[in-house]
Amino acid sequence: MDSTHGQTMAQKILARHAGRERVEPGEHLSCVPDHVVTQEMNWPTLHRNLGKIGVKGLKRPDKVVIVVDHTPSAATGSPHAGTHHLLKGLTRELGVDHFYGPGSGLRHLVLVEKGFARPGSLIFSDEGNIASIGAVGALNIAMSPDILVPLIKDENWVTVPHTVRVDLVGALPFGVSARDIVQTLLRDWGQGQFLQCCVEYGGPALAQLSMDDRQTLLASTFHSMSDTAVMEVDDLALAYVDARADGRPYEVVQPDPDAQYQRRITLDLSQMLPMVTVPPEQTGAQPVETVAGLRVDQATIGSCAGNRLQDMRDAAQILRGRQVAPHVTMYISPGSREVYAQAAREGLLEIFAEAGAAVLTPGCNTCWGYLGVLSGQEVSITTHQFNYQGRNGSEQARVFLASPLTVAASAVEGRIADPRPYLRSSMSHALSRMTPGQP
Amino acid sequence: MPSCAIRPDEPMQGRVWKFGDQVSGDDGIIDFSAVRDGFGKPLNEELLTRMCFRRLNPRFPDEVQAGDVVVGGVNFAHHNHVEVSAAIRFSGVAAVLVESCESGFIRRALSQGLPVLTVPGITARVQDGDRISVNLAKGRIVLADGSVMMAPVLSPYMLAVLRAGNLVAALQQEFLGVS
Repeated sequence: MDSTHGQTMAQKILARHAGRERVEPGEHLSCVPDHVVTQEMNWPTLHRNLGKIGVKGLKRPDKVVIVVDHTPSAATGSPHAGTHHLLKGLTRELGVDHFYGPGSGLRHLVLVEKGFARPGSLIFSDEGNIASIGAVGALNIAMSPDILVPLIKDENWVTVPHTVRVDLVGALPFGVSARDIVQTLLRDWGQGQFLQCCVEYGGPALAQLSMDDRQTLLASTFHSMSDTAVMEVDDLALAYVDARADGRPYEVVQPDPDAQYQRRITLDLSQMLPMVTVPPEQTGAQPVETVAGLRVDQATIGSCAGNRLQDMRDAAQILRGRQVAPHVTMYISPGSREVYAQAAREGLLEIFAEAGAAVLTPGCNTCWGYLGVLSGQEVSITTHQFNYQGRNGSEQARVFLASPLTVAASAVEGRIADPRPYLRSSMSHALSRMTPGQP
Repeated sequence: MPSCAIRPDEPMQGRVWKFGDQVSGDDGIIDFSAVRDGFGKPLNEELLTRMCFRRLNPRFPDEVQAGDVVVGGVNFAHHNHVEVSAAIRFSGVAAVLVESCESGFIRRALSQGLPVLTVPGITARVQDGDRISVNLAKGRIVLADGSVMMAPVLSPYMLAVLRAGNLVAALQQEFLGVS
């Protein structure tokens, strides 16, 4: 192996957590994580398996973060009420202090908002889209039932991924958001080109993306079938981290200038358009005008790719002073208590209510078909992560993916709609109200 | 269909079930309903074996035999929850050989005691119905015509999990001394 070249962010973070100076793609390592995060629905199985192997305690309960995010409220007859009950007792028994119960939000947001994920952190989780924590320079490695291993041994195996570098350049056009960027990326690179890779984002255009936009980009990158994704850390990211680290240490990891990449891609944001991903593939992104006019029955804002404050603000920008079309049901799921509370402080929840949308408890909710399921051949437009058959209820329903702006515009129009005319109209309306002498 | 024991240290011979490129796991090898309705519950072996590969080859659930081998194309089993690898393992399949797949599929499959090897070029050299043999410890695959292909060797830890039968069995050996 060539040991003279530099290392990527993923290589550096994994090497540190394996007690190594450097590592090479394809190597099998045993790594010690900074935190292990799981969601509630894996715990009935994890609990059974702990019993089967006769283990009474976790190796490092202080590292364990458990979040109830898939089932924030259990319905009549739901088995999840039992899971909530199990976890309230089990976390006490196991000494897991970082237990976030119903309504706390998603693991993705809890990890960054509570400062568990910091620059250089290695997080073992139970889901690939938790790569959203790469926005603070932390690395997510997703496990399976073998998340049990780091829970009881404080280590697990990792195969060092290759790295694909994506450099962002150019200015994002009016009415286009991070969701449109990643849907375009998946259209062009989502056929398996990033398999067994970490996608490392950087470049001059990163600075124009908010922390929320960055997390959206990273959370959906996993549809490229990459192992994980991460982002260079800049002043914006550090300010976010410092406000939440609460004195806990971190060390910023940046790629070496001569790091070796399997592939290097330049993404010109100035060429991006509002996109709609047509079911059932993640690669089915098309400019919104090609599907505009298709009648929709449901519009939802939510999921780890579209439930942060920026997403709420984007939706509210369209919905302010407008009504959801009578035949459309609209659900909005804030991603965390922090997002929910801030949305309330900013008056966004009032806008949603007055527009006729239903605001749900922070959680995954509609994204995996737990709430707001589709019936028959209904059509949904959504910021969800998935668009395949049966994901949101009926096997005959169709799920179109888009940015919060496009989803909100479509909710108002009752048909898939380009958000840009609505945005221009909102802006001119706001300007017309700003008469001289008024603040 | 009883699962066959995986014997990583000797050649395992089986019939090839060949599938194409870009096969979805949750929405192809199985139906997503098995994931959505099964969350938090023990894996439903009867449902998963009845569903496994049915949409891609309706004969598979009835005709697959213990020890058979699945050969898949590029980006095989993309978007897969653990039910996908459990379904294949419950069906008796001894190994999955693919052009390419995500790391998560390899990891989830291993937890179920199902070996997944990436073997670029294999789909051009085997046909559905061929009988081939796979030696996991050596990464050596002998095709129907006697020619040999090599796969990257699994780590000692992965082989130990396969010898034990699955992840929980391996942990039982480690923590309880159960053999």
